[in-house]
Amino acid sequence: MARPKAPERPKKKVFFRRRKVCKFCVDKTEWVDYKDTKLLQGFILERAKILPRRISGTCARHQRMVQEAIKRSRHLALIPFTAD
Amino acid sequence: MRTYELVIVADPRLTDDEMVTLTEDYKKMITAGGAEVTKEESWGRRKLAYPIAKLNEARYVLICVSTDGKSPLPEVELRLRQNDKVLRYLTVRTDRNGKPIPPPQPREERGPQGPGGPGSGPGAGRDFGAPGRGDRGESGEEN
Repeated sequence: MARPKAPERPKKKVFFRRRKVCKFCVDKTEWVDYKDTKLLQGFILERAKILPRRISGTCARHQRMVQEAIKRSRHLALIPFTAD
Repeated sequence: MRTYELVIVADPRLTDDEMVTLTEDYKKMITAGGAEVTKEESWGRRKLAYPIAKLNEARYVLICVSTDGKSPLPEVELRLRQNDKVLRYLTVRTDRNGKPIPPPQPREERGPQGPGGPGSGPGAGRDFGAPGRGDRGESGEEN
């Protein structure tokens, strides 16, 4: 009876999370355009907050570019500051 | 060489002609200041993401500028600030180490999947929530 339990144990601990890769690094992006609202919409949450890096998997360098682009885009009222 | 982009967000109540004269005025200022207008793009009337000055729409114009040395933009910005037909403006330097930044290569195969993948909240929630919950549930029932 104890036998079937034993092999299951280690299995449970091995869950595997897909490693997130920075989308911009894959595309070799050097410049995130503030005019590209379609792209930026993908990096804001429903409340229009900026999507954190831990969720999007964007690297630090590209997150900075995304952040800058979102802020510029907000200034021009292309994307919202907040959901109303 | 330096390149800049200037976006002007103007009052939607301006007529097409007025809008043309407004952009021409600024373009003249730029060329008079020793720079060159490389591109001009009118986006027409667009809905604003949030109201500005109680307006829900605005007219957008994009002007690309390139210059060697002297920049007329401080002067242009001053005028933009004084013009009450201009709701917002943005000037951005678009060159790095003297070279214009290449426009991003369109990645059609990744396009629809890319922004949706990281952008979707539920996907991320699943990532963090599921392993924990599953682990606890299984071990509880067996023991």
